[in-house]
Amino acid sequence: MIKLNDLLTNHIRNWKMAWFGLIFWGSVLNALALNFGYSDYSVLCFFCGFIIGLIAKVRGTWLWKI
Amino acid sequence: MEDLNIADEFSFDKEKEIARSFSKRFQWEMILIGVGQALVWLSLWPLVIFNIIPLWVGFIVATLCACLAYLPSHEAQHGNYSRGNPKRRWIDSFVSHFSLMTLAFPHDLLRCTHMKHHAYTNDPIKDVDYDTATAKSFFEVVVRIQEGATKYEEFAEIYKDDASFMRSFNKGVLIGVGYRVALLTLVVIFPLQTLLLWWLPGKLGTIYTSTFFSWYPHYQTEIGRYKNTRFWSHLVPRYFNHSMQLHFIHHLHPGIGHFDEPKAIEALKPFLIARQVPGAEDIPARVSLNPLITT
Repeated sequence: MIKLNDLLTNHIRNWKMAWFGLIFWGSVLNALALNFGYSDYSVLCFFCGFIIGLIAKVRGTWLWKI
Repeated sequence: MEDLNIADEFSFDKEKEIARSFSKRFQWEMILIGVGQALVWLSLWPLVIFNIIPLWVGFIVATLCACLAYLPSHEAQHGNYSRGNPKRRWIDSFVSHFSLMTLAFPHDLLRCTHMKHHAYTNDPIKDVDYDTATAKSFFEVVVRIQEGATKYEEFAEIYKDDASFMRSFNKGVLIGVGYRVALLTLVVIFPLQTLLLWWLPGKLGTIYTSTFFSWYPHYQTEIGRYKNTRFWSHLVPRYFNHSMQLHFIHHLHPGIGHFDEPKAIEALKPFLIARQVPGAEDIPARVSLNPLITT
C-alpha cells in the first residue's frame, strides 16, 4: 500500500502538467471546437491539450522562464 | 531592533501598547466580505449553467470575487477574528476556508507559509514571497505566480524540521489536491464555465493579490522590522488596492484589524518618524481616500 502510494505520488509529481494539459486544456479546447461547430475533433483537441501539458512538463513551466 | 537612540516616549513597549488598542475590535466587515464574495461566486455556477446570466457576466463577477477573496483569509491567518479566544477559533478557520474557495488555495498552506513570510520577510531562502517581492516588473509577477500553490513545495524542504509548519503544510497539500480534483472533474462536465468562473478568475485574483500584497509593499526593501516594507503610492484610491499602501503597519503589528489600520497609522506616525522610516513624514494627520499620494 505504501509502495503504491509512493508510486502514485511520484507519478503525479512528475506528470501533473501533462495530465492537466490533457484533461483541463483538452476539455476547454474541445468545448471551444464544439462552440464553433467542429464536432468531430474531440481526439485532436485532447491531443493538443496533452501536447501543451507535455511541453510545459519538459520546459518546467507553463509560461516564460525568468 | 534597529540601532537607533529612541526616546522613551517612542519606545517599542509604548508602540506595542498603542497597536494593541487597535487590535481588539471584532471585524464583522471582513467576515461579510469573505463569506459574501464566496456566496456570490457559488451562486454564479447555477446562474450561468441555467443561462440566467451570460458567461461573460459571470466571468467579470467571479474575477471581482477572486480579488476580494484573499484579504478575509489573511485576517484569519493571523487569528484576527478569534483574537486568541479558543472558542472563536472556528471563525478564523471557517472564514478563511470558505473565502479561499474562489482562489482554490488551501487555508492551512497559506497560513503556515504566511507566518514564515512575516518571520523572515525578504530573506532570499526563507521568505515564501521573496520571488514576487523581487520581481522587476509586473510581467515578472504574472510569470512567477503561475505556479500557484506548487511554488510552496520547496519550502517543505526548508522547514521540514518545523513540526507545526509541516502539520499545517501537509493538511494544506491534501486540500490543494482536493481542489485540483474538483477543478479537473468540473472542467470535464462544464469546460468553459470552469475556465471562466474558476480557473481564470482565480489566476487574475492571485495576480491582483500578489501585486498589491507582495510586490508593491516589499519591492526593493531590506531585512529588518522597520525596513522590510515600504510606503508606496499610485493614482488609484486605496480601496481598490485593499489599502496596501499602508501594509507597513501590518508588518509591524499584524494583530491590528485591517479596517483599523488607517487610525493606527495616524496614531503611530510619531513612532515611525522616530525610527526614521522612509516616507513616514508624508503620512497625513488624517488618512483619507488616497493618503500617500505626493503632489
